[in-house]
Amino acid sequence: MAEFRLDCLYEACPIPLLKAHKKLQQMKIGDLLILETDHNCSIVNVVDWVKKQGHHVDYIEITEGQWEIFIEKQK
Amino acid sequence: MSKAIEELKLKRQGQFKKRSSQVPCGMICIVLAVAIYALSLQISTNHSTFWIIGILIGVTLQRSKFCFSASFRDPVLVGSTSLLKAIILALIISTIGFVAIEYSNSGGSESLDWIKTMGQVHPVGIHTAIGAILFGAGMVIAGGCASGFLMRMGEGFLLQIVVFFAFMMGAVIGTWHFEFWDKVLISNSPTIFIPDYVALPFATIGQVIILLFLYFLADWYDKKNSIMSM
Repeated sequence: MAEFRLDCLYEACPIPLLKAHKKLQQMKIGDLLILETDHNCSIVNVVDWVKKQGHHVDYIEITEGQWEIFIEKQK
Repeated sequence: MSKAIEELKLKRQGQFKKRSSQVPCGMICIVLAVAIYALSLQISTNHSTFWIIGILIGVTLQRSKFCFSASFRDPVLVGSTSLLKAIILALIISTIGFVAIEYSNSGGSESLDWIKTMGQVHPVGIHTAIGAILFGAGMVIAGGCASGFLMRMGEGFLLQIVVFFAFMMGAVIGTWHFEFWDKVLISNSPTIFIPDYVALPFATIGQVIILLFLYFLADWYDKKNSIMSM
């Protein structure tokens, strides 16, 4: 199980989503992706999309206005 | 929820200090907002009303993450239409609301011209399409439309300050050659106001039916697989 980090700080919508999409395609099933973002739309946008694709996802706010989204590839 | 993510969350949570409470800041902001309201009340009632409406719109936009650019971008990009549906619902509500306000103010269907001026009905033509393409391209690059970037600027998203200056420049350039567009396209284009052809109640009901149809279309599209599926 590999762990990947994706730096999406200072990126506006929809760049974090596109980056996550690209990265997830390269990953294997069971791999983890940590996406760092400071764009509050991403925690809705990315999380909704990942859920719709059927992967496991959750996020935490690590400091004011900065989040980490955890994605586990499922298929 | 999967175990791996749960573990990762716990691990990361332990690494950060508990965040400071933002309640005092909020209190100060509320006091300031009320003070400005009281001050502007002495100058004019209009200004104070606009101040309160502006704050309410801002809070709603921020809390709901309502975003006009995302509403038109997400259906194409990720196949999600939840924001588009929200906009259609808002249009249905405002259609009914504005007709009610204008109808009661005009005192009958005879003064359609008055409603036309109140409702700001403008000529439609190629210039509408050109403007829409420019605006659409701009808002996707900037990461938000006019209301969205103001809201994110307030959140402290620094990129939006660049967008703010670009927005100002764009507005100035637009005003500068508005005369050209007016001469070439706008003044030659027809002003279409549907209640001119059918009665106002029918136009309203028709618009609501079309919007409802679009709503269900968007709902159906949302349930289909998205373009960016894997």
